[in-house]
Amino acid sequence: MNLLVAISIGLREIAAHKFRTALSMLGIVLGVSSLIATMALTRGIEDGTRIFMQQMGGLELVSIVNKEPSSRKYEFANLSPGRTLRDAEAIRRSATFISHVSPEISLATAVATDGGGNPDRRMVRGVYPDHFVIAMHQIAAGRFLTALDLERGSRCAVVGDTVAKNLWPGIPPPLIVGKSILIDNRPFEVVGVLPLYEMEEQARARRSGRSLSRRWDPFRQKNETVLVPFTTMFHELRSGAFPLDSLETMKLETLTVRVGDLDHFRPALDQVRRILDTTHRGVDDFDLETRQDWFDRMESSVRAARLSGGLISAISLVVGGIGIMNIMLASISDRVREIGIRLAVGARQRDIFWQILIESILVSLLGGLLGILASLGLIEILKTIAPTENVPVLTPDSILLAVGFALAAGLLSGLYPAAKASTIDPITALRYE
Amino acid sequence: MSLIHLEGLSKVYRVGDQEIRALNEVNLRIEEGEFIAIIGSSGSGKSTLMHLLGCLDTPTTGRMEICGNDLAKASNDELARVRNREIGFVFQAFNLLPKLDVVSNIALPLIYAGVPSRERLARAKKAASDVGLGDRLANRPPQLSGGQCQRVAIARALVNNPRILFADEPTGNPDSATGRMILEMFDALHASGKTVVLVTHDPSIAARSRRVIEIRDGRITREYAP
Ligand SMILES: Nc1ncnc2c1ncn2[C@@H]1O[C@H](COP(=O)(O)OP(=O)(O)OP(=O)(O)O)[C@@H](O)[C@H]1O
Ligand SMILES: [Mg+2]
Repeated sequence: MNLLVAISIGLREIAAHKFRTALSMLGIVLGVSSLIATMALTRGIEDGTRIFMQQMGGLELVSIVNKEPSSRKYEFANLSPGRTLRDAEAIRRSATFISHVSPEISLATAVATDGGGNPDRRMVRGVYPDHFVIAMHQIAAGRFLTALDLERGSRCAVVGDTVAKNLWPGIPPPLIVGKSILIDNRPFEVVGVLPLYEMEEQARARRSGRSLSRRWDPFRQKNETVLVPFTTMFHELRSGAFPLDSLETMKLETLTVRVGDLDHFRPALDQVRRILDTTHRGVDDFDLETRQDWFDRMESSVRAARLSGGLISAISLVVGGIGIMNIMLASISDRVREIGIRLAVGARQRDIFWQILIESILVSLLGGLLGILASLGLIEILKTIAPTENVPVLTPDSILLAVGFALAAGLLSGLYPAAKASTIDPITALRYE
Repeated sequence: MSLIHLEGLSKVYRVGDQEIRALNEVNLRIEEGEFIAIIGSSGSGKSTLMHLLGCLDTPTTGRMEICGNDLAKASNDELARVRNREIGFVFQAFNLLPKLDVVSNIALPLIYAGVPSRERLARAKKAASDVGLGDRLANRPPQLSGGQCQRVAIARALVNNPRILFADEPTGNPDSATGRMILEMFDALHASGKTVVLVTHDPSIAARSRRVIEIRDGRITREYAP
């Protein structure tokens, strides 16, 4: 018997019992749609994170982060000053494998032109000149902050593209350099303007005049930044907030270093760790976080999401498979006589076997198809719920995978009914009422 | 060599601890081209014998050869092949598929013979018009009379051009138009060289055959030419 005949018999059988078949498909529909939706969701998270990573810089970067000290050292924990500028200076002086060091403190405050226009609330960061390399900045006009600015604690600032455009609409960056701005009501001189950072597709859309609405902009933070020398930040903007702190002892918000050569990555980490052991007086209240760590952490959380979604899908598929098996068993006991007649006119056992198996595969494939349609709807709903940076992304391989699972569910759940049907004895079957 | 050769053929049914000897040591030879009627009272074992001959069932003991195939111990696939190619079977209860129309019912054996669909359709239509149902092709069995169903069953049995036709009580009332038509068809098939074996209660139908075999309590008790 050829495949086409078996398929047409199967389709006729499905058409004859639409409601029953639809019910038995439900599990497969759920399984397939949840599988595709999970894959789309996790893929969206992956994509969002990848863009974020690119924007955060390369593998050379290492963040020094706070950590709960281990219990063994807990009682000495208050001996450690925490992450301070001393760490940054010590690393800069004696970690030979480290090329750049960027400590940072920040303050969200009002930024306005000295003409007195409406102030914008911006994140103002106190940084080292090395921030230029570590944050992967470029300069559109003027210059970046220098060591001299740092040393003098001068009132100069570098502003991001969005900040510049908001304060001085329509004025090109070269003319902005030299203008004054008020940061927290203190006058600063703009010494440099950063270029507009954007993703490739945004640039393309802007050039062709389209607007990419509702798309997450990973560069927003960079475009809205206002950078001042670290020392200026402390003396002009932060002093008094923590009267007991000096420039040296105030806690850093972030401390990022860049390894000069990836070939010396591990030794570089060792150097940093040794230095910090000293400055932190042996208290292990810090940790070195590489971008690889970030990547791994993201991967493992995506894997966890995928696993839990996959588990739900798997359960639905198993339940769906059982549903199909149930319906196929009901169907063959309805059709004992038909099977007997087919055997009597020359069907072999394997013809009956294939007929039932193909029928159950058809049911599951049909369920898979409906599941794909349902998943499209589901993904649309998720798109409105999910954060814009993680918009779910439908991929063809997730559809293939889901169809594959549906197929497997149909195949496995069809095996037993098919085997049962094929061992029916023709005479018994013909007597069957 | 005989077309059909039975030797010491027995069929025993076991119901609980009771043994029913439906066939008891039957010996029979049927030659190619014979026209045979099997008669006997109800429960004598006629259908049981026909089912064995039709390869629908296997004997408890004994030897059975059909068209040179030893079938007493044949595999299921071998039996299916013989049912499909060598034998046409007309059941006492028609056994048509109620969901299929006349053409599809008649074409059923061709599906399992691997005949391509276009040819299946052509041959099924031809077989349908041979039994006078050329104008009822799209009807389904529940829409047909008993006699018409019987003719569909005959067309199905003949569609794959078998060497032997078995028919279990095929005629219904032999005086009706359908009954007469069916008997004439058997005559014609016999004349064209097919082997025909039919079961009947009716002596007047048995009289149309060339050889009558009488069964009682699972044994062949008498054999004569009418
Ligand atoms: N599956 C079975 N299980 C038990 N006994 C059976 C079975 N099939 C047939 N028999 C018995 O075997 C005997 C022969 O039955 P069979 O059907 O061959 O009779 P028959 O000659 O065809 O009768 P009828 O003329 O009424 O059709 C009967 O006694 C019947 O009860
Ligand atoms: Mg009978």
